[in-house]
Amino acid sequence: MITKNKSTRIILLIVALALAALLPYATSNYMLRVLNMMFINYICVLSMFVIFGMTGQMSFAQAGYWGLGAYITAILTTKFHVAPLLALVGSALGTAVFVLLVGLALFRLHGHYFGFASIGVVMTMNGIFQNWTPVTGGANGMGNIPQFGIGGWECNSDMSYFYLLLFVVVAISLITELIHRSSLGRSFMAIRDNEIAAKCMGVNSYFTKNVAYVISGIYCGIAGSLFAFLSSYISATSFIFPQSVMYLVMLMLGGYNSIAGPIIGTTLLALLPEWFRPLQEYILLVYGLGVILLMVVMPDGLIGGGKKIYEHICKRSGGGTGKNQTSNGVG
Amino acid sequence: MALQMLITSLAMGIVYGMVAMGMVLIWRAVGVINFAQGEFLMVGAFVSYTLAEQLGIPMSIALVACAVIMGIVGVIFHFITYWPLRKSWDITVIISTIGASIALKEAATLIWGPAPLSIDPLVDGVARFSTVSIEWQFIVTIGVSAVLMAGIFYLLERTYLGHILQATAQDQYAAALIGIPVVVATGMTFAISALIAGVGGMLLAPVFFVTSTMGGITGLKAFAAVVIGGFGSVQGAIIGGLIVGMVDTFSGAYVSSTYRDAIVFMFLVVVLVIRPQGIFGEKIAEKV
Repeated sequence: MITKNKSTRIILLIVALALAALLPYATSNYMLRVLNMMFINYICVLSMFVIFGMTGQMSFAQAGYWGLGAYITAILTTKFHVAPLLALVGSALGTAVFVLLVGLALFRLHGHYFGFASIGVVMTMNGIFQNWTPVTGGANGMGNIPQFGIGGWECNSDMSYFYLLLFVVVAISLITELIHRSSLGRSFMAIRDNEIAAKCMGVNSYFTKNVAYVISGIYCGIAGSLFAFLSSYISATSFIFPQSVMYLVMLMLGGYNSIAGPIIGTTLLALLPEWFRPLQEYILLVYGLGVILLMVVMPDGLIGGGKKIYEHICKRSGGGTGKNQTSNGVG
Repeated sequence: MALQMLITSLAMGIVYGMVAMGMVLIWRAVGVINFAQGEFLMVGAFVSYTLAEQLGIPMSIALVACAVIMGIVGVIFHFITYWPLRKSWDITVIISTIGASIALKEAATLIWGPAPLSIDPLVDGVARFSTVSIEWQFIVTIGVSAVLMAGIFYLLERTYLGHILQATAQDQYAAALIGIPVVVATGMTFAISALIAGVGGMLLAPVFFVTSTMGGITGLKAFAAVVIGGFGSVQGAIIGGLIVGMVDTFSGAYVSSTYRDAIVFMFLVVVLVIRPQGIFGEKIAEKV
């Protein structure tokens, strides 16, 4: 954000990655589990970033798609003994197809109505997860999901999952950033900013929205599959509407305008409960009030708010010689 | 049997309708969806527990007291979640109401404890009509709700105060220009909205146990009612509430009790796909 220089950025990125790669050696096993869960949430928040942050379509169904990915992996590995990697691909594809069908039906709706319908979708999906006992295990959930592995290599510890998730997260982040900068990403953002203007410029909004939705669905499917491998037990109580709301809150807290937003939002909401553990039963109350406070103080999220403060400081201190004259009059 | 269920579904539906009406009033006034509407219902139920069970106030007085307290809660809610954000993007207000709903839920757990509480019905006993017997509670629920909603309808459509509220809802800037104190009008709308949802909670409390999570699913079903009825229409919200109540009760009895919630929301999706603007909604015009 601060450095405009491309090579400085790349160096910063590499340093951050190296630090992240060394992280497991510096933290406890418990913290590692928190971080793994944070990565899973981050992928889902990225899916929210694609469909809401970029395309401006408020979808509350992401937790349902995440659950669908998890159930597909669980069913494929426990009932059909499919190889883990194939199950991961199956989850991504299966979720993509399902999301495409939902999108084809629901993108006939405009504006807020799409968001309303997506709430209906996630509630229906959760009802099915909870009650279709022969397939999803019903209230008992599904257990005994094998570990993830490719060929002879098997993920058998929290640390190996950490590296697997780190790899996936970096890959997906890069893909998202590429989409963000491509013409496809620009057509997403055109729809977000003004759908009619986008249509006038030749963007097929129905088609483009569906593409964005399918991409977000693939992310959710991958996240769900990895979640199933990581926890080896899944139940319908994870894949609920409030979870989608949390993704939205994470995105809005960080800022929906750049990929740094999801990173900051997810990290913050994953780590704050750990830091504020002494508050115990007050923690959710503080969380709720904190969300209100942050929205009131920084409506554009931490990234947007930080940018504003940074610009403000630049103006105050004058920056260069040319700017000094203008700021003299003000301050 | 069928008549009994019809009365039950009407009672449930009218409570959904009340919560939905509160949502629509806020939507019309400030153009924001309030995700904490279900939590108003939950707070109303807890307040009525304190008034009726802990302080031993007679039910009829408790009902009025509960309404007044909920009105004050609505005003406080307005000043914390909406007023500071009135000039920013509507999504930020939605997020802030989501934060408020979490905070309200947790505050209720801290004050009243996590264990489910039970409340005596407003009127005990069972009414008998030849072969069918119906609990008085349901009849009282329908009666009180109908009177309250009619009163609010009268207030909005026929009184000077109602015209002030509607003028503010249509155009805040123009309302301010002709000397309407906008903050009073929006605050009042939130108060009315919290009041009807809270009374709904009080009426629902004897039927279910009072828990801090009771607002979540009821709020979402009320939300479904708003969308089915057509967003922005008060009549639509009430009719939508009754429809959701019927789908809820009858699908629970005749189709499958486990898939009950799923069927209600499936119904919402199907209605939206068939008729995107809801039953009473106006044709949506695309604005440039």
